[in-house]
Amino acid sequence: MKFSNIVSVKKIGRDFFEISFNIDSEVRAGQFLMVWVPGVKEIPMSVSNLKNPITISFKAIGETTKRLSAMRPGDRIFYRGPYGNTYPDPKGKTAYVAGGTGIASLLPLISAYPGDVYYGMRTAEDIVYKNLVNFVSTDDGSMGFKGNVVDLFIREKRKYDTVFVCGPEPMMKYFHDKINRNEYGNIYYSLERLMKCGVGICDSCSINGFRVCRDGTVFDHEQLNIMDEFGTVRRAESGRRIFLK
Amino acid sequence: MDISTVIAGTRFDNPVFLASGIVDETLKSVERAIKSGAGAAVTKSIGKDERAGYVPPIISELPTGMLNAVGLANPGIDDFIDEFKTSSLKEKIVVSIFGKDSEEFLELAKKVQDAGFTTIELNLSCPHVKGYGSEVGEDPELVEEIIKELKSKTNLKVWAKLTPNVTHIVDIAKAAERADALVLINTVKAIGVNIWARKFSLTNGIGGYSGPGIKPIALRAVYDVYKETGKELIGVGGITTYEDAIEFMLLGAKAIQVGTAIYYKDFKIFNEISQGIMNYLEMEGFGSLQEIIGLMVK
Repeated sequence: MKFSNIVSVKKIGRDFFEISFNIDSEVRAGQFLMVWVPGVKEIPMSVSNLKNPITISFKAIGETTKRLSAMRPGDRIFYRGPYGNTYPDPKGKTAYVAGGTGIASLLPLISAYPGDVYYGMRTAEDIVYKNLVNFVSTDDGSMGFKGNVVDLFIREKRKYDTVFVCGPEPMMKYFHDKINRNEYGNIYYSLERLMKCGVGICDSCSINGFRVCRDGTVFDHEQLNIMDEFGTVRRAESGRRIFLK
Repeated sequence: MDISTVIAGTRFDNPVFLASGIVDETLKSVERAIKSGAGAAVTKSIGKDERAGYVPPIISELPTGMLNAVGLANPGIDDFIDEFKTSSLKEKIVVSIFGKDSEEFLELAKKVQDAGFTTIELNLSCPHVKGYGSEVGEDPELVEEIIKELKSKTNLKVWAKLTPNVTHIVDIAKAAERADALVLINTVKAIGVNIWARKFSLTNGIGGYSGPGIKPIALRAVYDVYKETGKELIGVGGITTYEDAIEFMLLGAKAIQVGTAIYYKDFKIFNEISQGIMNYLEMEGFGSLQEIIGLMVK
């Protein structure tokens, strides 16, 4: 476990925060850190800016993220990692499809490789990184397309050589099921699951024997084809299967 | 080169097994270990009721291994059976169970047997949950009673995994004499401190120490128990290379288990160690694995 003194804490949207701090190892696009708030919990967080001071971007919704959002410059932030595999570099025309806080994981790519950014959220109040986004959807229609970002993406009918997808698992499952595979080149998804160890030994985040923390978090479209638990079975903290509709 | 091994009458293609508690909460991960070359795989320990386990941090990485306090997270025996009963690799899956007394162990064992499994491993050794694991396993009378009950009322092969956190491990091994095989050792009870947070490294405070740092402790346990009891033994504790595995075998282990080594080398560890054992036997002029088991003790 390492620690660093926080350089800055910024509120960039409704309940949405960015914390920056310097770390002493190289982080690559798609990787995550295990961030520990002593006395509370340790949670995985994707890195949204890779160069020192690096940035983690998150929504303050649980106790741990709320405590993080209340931290001040100079406070100690505890972390280990980076862990996980990385997004491959995109080739050709590129699209980014993000749902909610999933955009944090895609930001390093978006800033390095130009492409069309599709961003879905619940309502207009949730908008972040507005200047980076090309196509917006909201569940309530308060901004952009009314509906989900996957339907928006399909409706636009644009062709891409590389597509990156990150968001809640039901959204990614819907994307995986709905799109016409032949119209796109490589498609990569960054998965999120309940994670405890972060290093591939506790089995909490496994989907069909693929550990999201170590074999992922990034998987390609064809790997997801063989994961029949993707979008259909999640795991309780005990490891018990919870079957989704 | 034949590196098959026979434990309690059951033949395994190779002596490199997956230890309980490491990537073995879900069936597909257990099957992945077997398909990656594990001779057998022991599941995460399963109890009567569902347990969420401890809040992370549940592990702490050390230069010499790892501390963990997962807290016996498990879905409970019924949900576990539901998931694992479909496996076609049952003969290579050993189900680890934990209970507070012989009655609870028996109830679990019967369900495991009914689901078609043939071997169980008794967790008499988890160091970080009150009322279970090592708190049961350091009481020789209780250990004897549990194993007697299981052997007389089920047809299961019983492996007993013992704790090193006792003054005389041989006494516990003797109490476990009716078990078909003994598994030595579980993690060493330990604590980690973070001086910059002034907190324990693990949420639970107390955890179990595994990895290369505990190998000499495990070797000593295997040696003492083999010498004193001659029981069939499975060695576990800090094994990350074929050389480590051979050390355990020379002192009496018929098979070994790897756990923390997955953290270092991932699933390729199984074939890597098996291949290394084969090469060693050939290079050193042995005809089979059996020839080196207990060689330094005989």
